[in-house]
Amino acid sequence: MGASAAIFLAGCKAGGDYQGTEYAPNMYHSVAYESLSQITDQDAGWYFNALDARSGEFYNSNPYNPYKMNLRQPPKHVVKRETHGWLPYRGANDTTGLRLANRLVNPFEATPAILDRGKVLYETYCKHCHGAKGGGDGKVAQGVKIDDVEHSSYPGVANLRGDAYKKITEGHIFHVITYGKGLMGAHGSQVSEEDRWKIAKYVKELQKN
Amino acid sequence: MPKHTKMKENLVGLLKSFTFALFISVTTVSFAQEISKDATVIKAGEELFNGNCKACHRVKQKLVGPALAGVDTRVPSVAWIKNWVRNPAKVIASGDKYANDLYNEYSKSQMTAFTSYTDDQIMSILAYIKSEADKPDATAATQTAAGNAAGQGGEPSGYLDVILVGMIVILLLMLAILGIVSKALKKYLNEKPLSEEDKEVVNSPYTLGGFLRSPGFIFLVVFVVGAVTFKTVIDGLYSIGIQQNYQPKQPIAFSHKLHAGAYEINCVYCHTGAEKGKQANIPSPNICMNCHSQIKKESPEIQKIYAAIGYDVNSASYTGKQKPIEWVRIHNLPDLAYFNHSQHYNVAGVKCQTCHGPIEEMEVVKQYSLLTMGWCIDCHRKTDVNTEGNAYYDRLVQVHNAAKGSKSKMKVEDIGGLECSKCHY
Repeated sequence: MGASAAIFLAGCKAGGDYQGTEYAPNMYHSVAYESLSQITDQDAGWYFNALDARSGEFYNSNPYNPYKMNLRQPPKHVVKRETHGWLPYRGANDTTGLRLANRLVNPFEATPAILDRGKVLYETYCKHCHGAKGGGDGKVAQGVKIDDVEHSSYPGVANLRGDAYKKITEGHIFHVITYGKGLMGAHGSQVSEEDRWKIAKYVKELQKN
Repeated sequence: MPKHTKMKENLVGLLKSFTFALFISVTTVSFAQEISKDATVIKAGEELFNGNCKACHRVKQKLVGPALAGVDTRVPSVAWIKNWVRNPAKVIASGDKYANDLYNEYSKSQMTAFTSYTDDQIMSILAYIKSEADKPDATAATQTAAGNAAGQGGEPSGYLDVILVGMIVILLLMLAILGIVSKALKKYLNEKPLSEEDKEVVNSPYTLGGFLRSPGFIFLVVFVVGAVTFKTVIDGLYSIGIQQNYQPKQPIAFSHKLHAGAYEINCVYCHTGAEKGKQANIPSPNICMNCHSQIKKESPEIQKIYAAIGYDVNSASYTGKQKPIEWVRIHNLPDLAYFNHSQHYNVAGVKCQTCHGPIEEMEVVKQYSLLTMGWCIDCHRKTDVNTEGNAYYDRLVQVHNAAKGSKSKMKVEDIGGLECSKCHY
């Protein structure tokens, strides 16, 4: 009997595509809509439900959304709440916008606290391409090798210490992080306005030495 | 012919050859103004190119700006290049046709001005470009070694096999030797004068059944089987409701080993929520597109991203037809437990790897930790609170030191890390 129990229980372990046996599964499956999990099978968890229920207890997709998703994009013209009550940056994503952005003034002073935060942010969002010192020599810009297989390097990474970039203003950096420029992608969705200004401050500091 | 006339002729010839030499030297000087093949000049040009031009230009490949191979013969003149590099806006404004065509071809984006460049610097860059352009292509050969890494896992198990076979051989040898010894002993004892009882013992036939029924053997078997079963049952019971090692196949074969490991992209670059809120978040495809609008465009896995975000590679534009990527969730806490990423990442400074394991080595992500309550509590008991430089904790540390002595560090449990209602409410 013990042996058969052992064999039976061996099938409970998670691994690969198998999630493992759940004890009290109704604790794991949220009845409320959850942002990052979704069960689309209408009958999932039927055995917990009263007979007149229209779907199983684990079913937690929203049938009124496209693809039954639980997350929806916010309605048009909704403004993200930024720190300090700032409105979103509205500079145009073109050459005129960039020219105007050159004149923007960083709302932060170069205090040690701001520069420290700028460094953390730079190392999170910029370092893998622009390099720890801004030399345009991050791992992504250089390309890597795993088990003798070469993986592509990203073209067109700016050397922030180069002559041409020493003259750019903090407003320029802010604008370029927001919208991207050349081959650099737009990072406005990832980095908040406040953080973009702090990165700009830190980049200017990097260029000094 | 008089002597002096000949001398005069010689003189004229000398003069002629002299002027010719002068002419030659002048023309070579003007050629040297063109493009040098000197290695030191090329080296200097390489440094300048990598530092300032590489962001937008390659020698043989069109990037943000045009490919520069053959630029010295393509443009109106070398002097034109110098003007252009130092002040492209001025060249465009002067109505220069070549400059304006270029400006329009690259959708009116203008090259950065490098006002401080000297003639020599620009010439050295041109020298580098020319030397690179003359090199034969060497890109195609490197990309073939992909499949070779798979067949290398066999060696340690090979060793094991050899050891196993060796041990079996030794055991068989010992068995044979023991058999011979027992035979010899039996023969020896039979030659001695023995009592009837002793003779019976010596000559008693050896049977397998007798051995299997012997109490020693039965005890051994029962004990081993019982122990193994007990261990498996307990392990099995503990594995119920625990999803450690769950490693589902994801809709897109994204490799953390490549992105987080080799390329050293910070976790938070994509999982932006870890710093800001409860969920670390599954990155939306626009973050993928920060790089993959440019690289690996032909890969079938990247095509799946394009399909999801509605991106047309050929026209490099978005179609607006989007559909979600159905990533399979791996880490799942029950509804009854509250967990917040930002609190652990920002306040406690816990590294992602502490809970998620060596993600940067995982080709396919699996659940590394138990995610049981015991596992949470264990960490809250062991972890010191980082109070340094944070005035918020000053008073707490004072109270803690007064109660428990200044030698005991303040752990998470001391500031309420074991309170039920911190996580269950």
